[in-house]
Amino acid sequence: MTTTQAPSCKGVIVTDDPVIATTALTKRFGVAVTALDQLTVAVEPGITGLVGANGAGKSTLIKILLGLLPATSGKASVLGCDTTSQPERIRALTGYMPEHDCLPPDVSATEFVTHMGRMSGIPPTAAKERAAESLRHVGLYEERYRQIGTYSTGMKQRVKLAQALVGDPRLLLLDEPTNGLDPAGRASMLELIARIGRIGGDFGISVVVASHLLGEVEQICDHLIAIDGGRLLRAASITSFTTASQVLAIEVDEGIEALAAELARRGLHPVPAERELLVPITSAATFDAVRDAVADLGLPLNRMEQRRHRVEELFRAPAEPAELGGALAADGRA
Amino acid sequence: MSTGAATGGGAAAGVIHDIGYQRYDGPRLGRWHIAAALCWHSLRSAFGIRRGAKAKIVPVITFVIMCAPAVINAVAMALSSSHARIVEYDTYTPTLRVIIMLVFIAAQAPELVARDLRSKVLPLYFAKPMRRLDYPAAKYAAFTLACLAMLDIPVLLLYLGTVFQVHGFSAVWAQTRAFIPGLLVGLMWAVVLAAIGLALASVSGRRAFSTGAVAIFLFMTWILGHVLVTIAAQQGPGGPGAPPGPTKGPVCSADLQVGHSAAAHLLGIISPFNVLDGVRQWLGGTNCGIVANPGQYGAAYGIALLAFLGAGLAGLFLRYARADVA
Repeated sequence: MTTTQAPSCKGVIVTDDPVIATTALTKRFGVAVTALDQLTVAVEPGITGLVGANGAGKSTLIKILLGLLPATSGKASVLGCDTTSQPERIRALTGYMPEHDCLPPDVSATEFVTHMGRMSGIPPTAAKERAAESLRHVGLYEERYRQIGTYSTGMKQRVKLAQALVGDPRLLLLDEPTNGLDPAGRASMLELIARIGRIGGDFGISVVVASHLLGEVEQICDHLIAIDGGRLLRAASITSFTTASQVLAIEVDEGIEALAAELARRGLHPVPAERELLVPITSAATFDAVRDAVADLGLPLNRMEQRRHRVEELFRAPAEPAELGGALAADGRA
Repeated sequence: MSTGAATGGGAAAGVIHDIGYQRYDGPRLGRWHIAAALCWHSLRSAFGIRRGAKAKIVPVITFVIMCAPAVINAVAMALSSSHARIVEYDTYTPTLRVIIMLVFIAAQAPELVARDLRSKVLPLYFAKPMRRLDYPAAKYAAFTLACLAMLDIPVLLLYLGTVFQVHGFSAVWAQTRAFIPGLLVGLMWAVVLAAIGLALASVSGRRAFSTGAVAIFLFMTWILGHVLVTIAAQQGPGGPGAPPGPTKGPVCSADLQVGHSAAAHLLGIISPFNVLDGVRQWLGGTNCGIVANPGQYGAAYGIALLAFLGAGLAGLFLRYARADVA
């Protein structure tokens, strides 16, 4: 029989054992495509954001970590288990929430999550209890008896998270968990993930959130890993590099030059971009200064919007203001 | 069952209540248990159990029709003076069995494999602690059992309906001796047809394509097999109306049709149903089925059977071994 209860590959979780460790991990598809290139990262307990543009290699990394894809070279381990020699052990300890839609429309959430609990190796009665528990944790109540096909996108995302939680994992791998959600749905999904991954919280589950939206993950993450073109851009704790990442976009109907001059006089560094001004936010006083400048000049203010720039720009060495502006303009809607 | 839900039931969806998380300390079952659970789940879905009423229509109707000859036999035996069994165990009702199994497999094989492809749920299965090919293995085991139930439960009913109307130990023993090969023929049908059915049903996640692939293959090969055999028999050395060769057991209408032509014997091999019936006769079945007794070509039927089984299983497993499934 293969009944086991050990919490990790080594029998006990060693605290200084990284949740995920990769060494020179490389994955090539054919000769032309290199999805991961000599990637060496270590993921600590807590919530880790895995950020990168679409196609940066996030999903490939997750599939290798789950033992679903073989690496071309290099090594990877999850919770102390090697991905090539103990993939089933890893998958027993890990909950996975894929990016795309993956739910059958014609069963109820309760039935589906119970079935996924059984597929995680939980006996029938316990799987039912765990399914009810998981669905409650993600905020689905009476509607869990309804067919999944009748659910909103937000509810479906919750079911996907519930099926990842049902096996009581030690690690959650969430691929773009806020995909397709409205702002309120995003906020509550992020809040939920933050609660699950809080160090010292009652879940005690480490979480890796793969996302192309840095602005979202940085709200909840303890650590960030940025990859681009399969290469590591930067890995660090969250506080070390996100403070200077925010800018304020101001759009006025007229007098854009006058406003730029006025803002510069007030000690800000406005960057003109197409039909707007971009001002790096240094503190709450930035907002006051912009408001006062616009009011003093009596300009018709169209829009004022807080933005971030693209991940790859952020992870470079501190950007020049001009570069920053260019990146922002190219980004369109951040 | 849901005390937490009761307290939060009135709240709007999306409100997260702070209920403490419970760790799971119970046993975690290994991949064999997981595969068995998937097999059981799939077996039930093959009959629409725990699914909507719509999902039950085809399996229930086909099953009832398949059982009807056994019931009719029991009634006929009770009413007739001779109390003789009118349905054979090993062939059952040959043409009805082919048609019903064709409908059942075309309708229900997609239920097992195409639904999961359609809803892209496979990555979730593959992220669970089982191996990639445990999935098609569990599905194959489940569908074999489903087909076996369709084939052998009616045979069992036939046996029960018969033995309660015969008298004496020797009569019951004679029935039992005829009954056991009947069960084995059902098993042979289930093993081969489940492999072919699932392999064809897994070509597409679209239900219509999936059902179409199964139905077209099984139906067209069966019809084409008959047409080819008929043409070959007319043109062959035996010709129509030629005296049948020395075959053991009764002379069947199919024997008369085929005569002695090798082509007529071998052309039927394109249909799995013909092959299954040919192998039954090759292995000693003497009752009339849907094809003529293959006689000296029995081994060819045996090889064809293995080829159908092998191709079906290879197709099914290769389908799920491919990375682009998930």
